[in-house]
Amino acid sequence: MLNVYEQVQGNKTRSAVIITLFVAFIISAAALITYSFELDPSVIIFAAIFSLISSVISYEYGDKIVLSLNNAHPAEREKYFDFYTVTENLSIGTGIPKPKIYVIESDSPNAFATGKDPEHAIICATTGLLNKLDRTELENVIAHELSHIQNYDTRIMMIVSILIGTLSILINLVSRNRFGRDRDRKSNGILIILGLLLLLFAPLIGQIIQLAISRRREYLADASAVKLTRQPQGLISALKKISSDSSILSSASTATESLYIVNPFKNNKITNLFSTHPPMVDRIKALEQML
Amino acid sequence: MPFLAILAIVALVIVFLISFFNRLRSIQIQIQASIQEIGNQLKRQANLIPNLIESVKGYMKHEKDIFTSLTDARKLVNQAIESNDPTQLNKAQESIGKIIKGLSVIVESNPEIKASQVVGSLMNELRDTADKVTYARRLLIDLSADYNTAISTIPGIWLAPTMGFKPEKGLSVPASGKFLEVSEEEIKEPSVKI
Repeated sequence: MLNVYEQVQGNKTRSAVIITLFVAFIISAAALITYSFELDPSVIIFAAIFSLISSVISYEYGDKIVLSLNNAHPAEREKYFDFYTVTENLSIGTGIPKPKIYVIESDSPNAFATGKDPEHAIICATTGLLNKLDRTELENVIAHELSHIQNYDTRIMMIVSILIGTLSILINLVSRNRFGRDRDRKSNGILIILGLLLLLFAPLIGQIIQLAISRRREYLADASAVKLTRQPQGLISALKKISSDSSILSSASTATESLYIVNPFKNNKITNLFSTHPPMVDRIKALEQML
Repeated sequence: MPFLAILAIVALVIVFLISFFNRLRSIQIQIQASIQEIGNQLKRQANLIPNLIESVKGYMKHEKDIFTSLTDARKLVNQAIESNDPTQLNKAQESIGKIIKGLSVIVESNPEIKASQVVGSLMNELRDTADKVTYARRLLIDLSADYNTAISTIPGIWLAPTMGFKPEKGLSVPASGKFLEVSEEEIKEPSVKI
């Protein structure tokens, strides 16, 4: 079992590895295409600049992108008294600065945390969560999110969700655009090369996702939450309430899925196989052993 | 070659010593900060009480008494913050807790006050501040435990004395004293007038 410091160091290293892999992938894809079709070598420089800039953006502004993707607005103390004060209290308990807190208008109870480090962290909760849970349950959910922040899980998850998103947008663009009708043969060639590259890199991409969304993170965050609040019962009943609720969070996408406390696409059987979250029954079982 | 190896080992040892020292020092600073935090929250609690008294005035028998005990409690809080002594914080917290308990009995037993929105939000604020005190205390306990473990295990037990690190008291309470005894009043069934 890793201790907290090793966990933090591991997450920082993995984040750096992921960014490097992303930059390497874009540059080598650009290089292969350039040499195969004798395009201008400046394409490679352009690709290098593009991948570096998007990495910097995902690191520096990832939190804001995630927020705007989810239509979140800031939570005021008067209107969301419990949410605000509970976050404040738990930050005192962990000794990290209080994260900024945001609210998503949605009946589906869920929450996530994001941000590159504890100084730039954000916790986001849906109105459904705030309405359906009592103060103790909410406290435990926020404690779970705060543990993600403290462990630097949020940094790695934020980077991955944005870089994977960028990659999928790029691939979409290339495959739709076809670089003009008159050069159909050439664009087909580009597609084939991209396809080959993806095949080569697929295990790597799989590895990246594995690195980021290891299910162990969720168990660890549950355990740290209980260590902080000393109320396993509160977290158990919160998880039960959240997972038995049938409303679906429409603003969540596959890119932001791993950020949430419970999988926002809970009713889909197929996603379960590749799920970013351990089954709820197992999480509750683990918590019940702490009672 | 052996010279380089020795140099490398010496460098490693120095890096270790520096990081060990820095870690302990930063825990010490965090401990001080958490003591301050407890003090600040107790102060906040004391500041909320007069507002609550204002709302329940008509229902109190000895209004003056509560003001004098509040002044006393405030003095204790200020003393504790100045001396940075956690045991004094305990005392201050106890005296504020007593006042709040008395006030909340009045609130709970009078439906008219309980229904008031102002009183409701004041009670929420007080409860929240109490939570903050709890968490600040918990952080202080955790940090002191980390710190004391680090200086009383190997290699800390060899290094700490030369570096000038002394054990932190944390929130330790004296091993004997009045607080260990249960008073007659506490054994009685609690009576709530409705």
